[in-house]
Amino acid sequence: MKRKAASNIYTVLVFIFLYMPIAVLILFSFNSSSSTGRFDGFSLRWYRELFSDAATMNALKNTLILAVLSSIIATVIGTLAAYGINKMKNRHLKGGITAVTNVPMMNPEIVTGISMMLLFVFVGGIINSKTVLGFGTVLIAHVTFNLPYVILSVMPKFKQMDKHLPEAALDLGCTPMQSFLKVELPQILPGIISGFIMAFTLSLDDFIISYFTVGSGFETLPIRIYSMTKKRVTPDMYALSTLIFVVIMILLLLSNISGDKEKKTLTLKQKKRRKIAIISTFSVIAATTLGLFIGTSFTEVVTVNVYNWGEYISDGGEDEDGVASVDVNKEFEKYYSKYLSEQKGRKIKVKVNYTTYASNEDLYAKLKAGAGGYDVIVPSDYMIERLIAEGLIQPIASREEITNVIKNYDYLLREPSDGETMTKEETEIFQKPFYDNGEDVYSVMYTYGVVGIIYNADHVSEEDIGGWDLLWNEKYKGKILQFNNARDAFGTAMYKLGVNVNDPTAEQWQDVLNELIKQKPIVQSYVMDEVFNKMESGEAWIAPYYAGDALSMIYQAEDRNINLGFYYPQNEEGETVTNVFADAMCIPADVSEEQKAHAIAYIDFMLSVDENYGSPAIANAEYIYYASPNRMVYTNSSYLETLDGDEEIIYAPIENNIDELFNTYAYRNLSSKNLATLNSNWETLKVESSSFNGTIYIISAVIAIAIIAFIVFIAVRRKYRRKLYWEQSPIAIKKASKNTPSDDLSDTVTIAIKRSKSNKD
Amino acid sequence: MNEKKIIELKSVAKSFDGEVILDNIDLDVYEKEFITLLGPSGCGKTTTLRIIAGFVTPDNGDVMFDGVKINNVPPYKRSVNTVFQKYALFPHLNVYENIAFALRLNKVSEEEIYERVEEMLAMVNLKGFEKRDVNLLSGGQQQRVAIARALINKPRVLLLDEPLGALDLKLRKDMQNELKNIQRKTGITFIYVTHDQEEALSMSDTVVVMANGKIQQIGTPTDIYNEPENAFVADFIGESNIIDGVMLDDYRVKFSGHEFNCLDKGFAKNEAIDAVVRPEDVDVVEPEKGMLCGIVDSVTFKGVHYETIVTINNFKWMIQSTDYVAPSQKIGLYIEPDAIHIMKKSEFSDMFGDYSSFSDELEHLSDITEEEEERE
Repeated sequence: MKRKAASNIYTVLVFIFLYMPIAVLILFSFNSSSSTGRFDGFSLRWYRELFSDAATMNALKNTLILAVLSSIIATVIGTLAAYGINKMKNRHLKGGITAVTNVPMMNPEIVTGISMMLLFVFVGGIINSKTVLGFGTVLIAHVTFNLPYVILSVMPKFKQMDKHLPEAALDLGCTPMQSFLKVELPQILPGIISGFIMAFTLSLDDFIISYFTVGSGFETLPIRIYSMTKKRVTPDMYALSTLIFVVIMILLLLSNISGDKEKKTLTLKQKKRRKIAIISTFSVIAATTLGLFIGTSFTEVVTVNVYNWGEYISDGGEDEDGVASVDVNKEFEKYYSKYLSEQKGRKIKVKVNYTTYASNEDLYAKLKAGAGGYDVIVPSDYMIERLIAEGLIQPIASREEITNVIKNYDYLLREPSDGETMTKEETEIFQKPFYDNGEDVYSVMYTYGVVGIIYNADHVSEEDIGGWDLLWNEKYKGKILQFNNARDAFGTAMYKLGVNVNDPTAEQWQDVLNELIKQKPIVQSYVMDEVFNKMESGEAWIAPYYAGDALSMIYQAEDRNINLGFYYPQNEEGETVTNVFADAMCIPADVSEEQKAHAIAYIDFMLSVDENYGSPAIANAEYIYYASPNRMVYTNSSYLETLDGDEEIIYAPIENNIDELFNTYAYRNLSSKNLATLNSNWETLKVESSSFNGTIYIISAVIAIAIIAFIVFIAVRRKYRRKLYWEQSPIAIKKASKNTPSDDLSDTVTIAIKRSKSNKD
Repeated sequence: MNEKKIIELKSVAKSFDGEVILDNIDLDVYEKEFITLLGPSGCGKTTTLRIIAGFVTPDNGDVMFDGVKINNVPPYKRSVNTVFQKYALFPHLNVYENIAFALRLNKVSEEEIYERVEEMLAMVNLKGFEKRDVNLLSGGQQQRVAIARALINKPRVLLLDEPLGALDLKLRKDMQNELKNIQRKTGITFIYVTHDQEEALSMSDTVVVMANGKIQQIGTPTDIYNEPENAFVADFIGESNIIDGVMLDDYRVKFSGHEFNCLDKGFAKNEAIDAVVRPEDVDVVEPEKGMLCGIVDSVTFKGVHYETIVTINNFKWMIQSTDYVAPSQKIGLYIEPDAIHIMKKSEFSDMFGDYSSFSDELEHLSDITEEEEERE
């Protein structure tokens, strides 16, 4: 009894372990607030929001089309391949081909993804197409990685099938084709169905391979969710994940039912019912796909491909109070369709293909690999410097011409406030930033922001705040967070020590590293996005982060009665010393003249405050929370009203010494030598930092040694046992008899028998 | 029996991976005949059947059907149907649909299909089984479905590949009778493959004994039993004492150091031959009255008779007799002239004969697996 209870408990524990995360996910998808820690009541709000989010729904549609098409194609090809492999006469060839088809399955996805991208770009180069990456390439990639799974699930069915069945069919008058359709297909159908479902689910959630092989204008759901991590994963993603989980559950159940075909005990009625269930599921899938395809109309379409950070545009989603924001891309489509149609005198439909990335480095990798097809991109300052240097982006216009090309360009001019005087340089700071101040204009600033320190006002005393040294304050040991990215983490120490962040000396590098190593014992953890939860829940008290995000943390924490504060660190002279960053819109070098005109229209629209089209610049600023360089925005009274005094947080430090921040403290493109030092120092710090490093290595080593010892023990024991019974074999007995002095065979046999008896004991 | 040839094999040869499976086979099959290909595993009988069905193309030689060469006609265009060894019923179809399969391919009307399937089911005693799942039937029932399925298209020739191999003894006997009846009723030519000599003798009009890819003998069951052409046939069909001997003259043969009268002639003087004496044809007599004398090695009770092993001149004779003799007793053997059958020496001479050795030899032949036989 006891044993049974224990095994029951064990089973329950395993299930809890497996399904707890999903249960929590489902629960919180019905939460009425966006809190991740507290359930504030049942609501379908996030489901509503999910279905009103055009971009996500579009990504979902793409993912479904991709999954259905790729799994159908893979199933057809895979089944035929399995048929062919099964028919092969040469056993070695057969084994070889089976092994080769299995390799892609073992291959790490990253290898498959990168090699596919390389191949596509290479082929694109040969056929001289810059926009080779797109739906077609992801489809090919998905078919490729799905194939082995289909083959793997269909092959055994062929092997299980009585090999005389096709012969019997031929014998009764079937042509080989009829034999396949009428006799072999029904036998392998369960394998085909489970292969199809496996391919479908794999394709549905594939991220890595899609990420590398997808081009502009096509975004799958996993890619979209991943790129959202620049900000926070919003609860509508819980809703989406719940829906996906439910759909996959249903598919799995269906595939299990179809797998039950082995059990011959099903009555014909049950079989019929099951058949109906399977057919109806497939027809629903097929109908959805078809419907989605037909949904596209046949009018002339102009497409603008925009590649931006995740959560970096006002997208029509609801805010905390359930008020829908402006869908800026939709507004642009409306505006530009009208404009183009009027200009050209015929109906033209404009479509914005909006896809997202998660880091400057991702963007860079895509551009560098030649994966073109983007018309507008939004890199950060140092990356723009690098892209210009490497010729990966093209000038929008010359500096004289720019105001004629971008009509709203002068919104970026700064205006001196009352009685203040400004030099020309000071007013042009957003037009001629450090990263783009040459003859030609390569970029139009989108947002900018500042790194500051966010702290828990309930626990951190006022006299401790003000400088970077709060991050090193022993009083708050275990409550301090640090950036989990090299540049920003080292930045904090450099600003603290007053070191030039863009070109420290070797000695300074060492000091900075020592400073961070010194900080380590009091740091709770190195984080990026987790900062939101940790600060909002009061788990951590002090963290350096970006101003716009700090604001959203402050709002969230208020709901939980936690008071967060935020300040820009100053040095002893009272100057703000911190990182300023800017993100700006650029046009990649491979964009054609024709597409460039559309790209410019889009960029111009982003600066516009035209109320007929939802004041895009203001809508974005209100949505993103980052500082806008657009004077029509930061002087707009309704915008300021919305911020309700929080503009202090976003704009204050810039008002005072924007030039100095930009020119002295902003990150520049590091020299390769400095980049190498930064990376190796970061490694040193991280290795030092991992608190478990020693123990985890020792534990792994002990486990590995134990496993090896066990294997050796088994091998030795087997050898020992074998040795005993080998000695008892007649050959061994004869040999043994020669050695015995008595030379008496029977003696030896008796010895052997005795030995075998003792062996049994 | 009709004398019209329906199938002819003309010096048909086949080898797989350089191994000769069929070595220039010539075979005529007549209409309405029940012909059996008999031989140990690996003798090429199944391959012969598969060549007739069209699953295997011969390397050499011609396959004629009604006098027309059909070497390159695919299986589905031959009016020949097969009953497979493991039945090969379609698992996804029920009994009715399995049997109706060929008719549906020919777009026969539903009414006619119903009629003909019912007729077939009646013939194989499976009425009322229409809706049964074939996977749930017993071996004998599956066998009947397979026969009905193969016969429904009214083929000119039915090929049966060891169809009773998977059934137990009792069921097998019943099915043998049933098959024979069906063949008589339908008048369809049956080509039957088996390694069971008793099955072959009791069912067939003609038996074709095969070994090593060659036909050893073709004849009626009685011919094959009474007048085997060589040591292999003599040994494979029934039990035999095969003894080395010398033909002294017509009707006069010498073996085991004794001269016998026999009914065979036409051999050269002093030609070395194999003499066959069936164990049931040896009479046990007093030692002094016997032509040969020996000591009894062992006696085994077999129900109808005793099986007595006697050693004479280092040759172990097998004798089947209703008389009991005790082991170690000295007895005499008496052999009538018509009990002796003389065969020319062949490649099989000395491989069989002595009772103590033959079973080992046979095992060696059986070692060739079915799989090898069926390779393509």
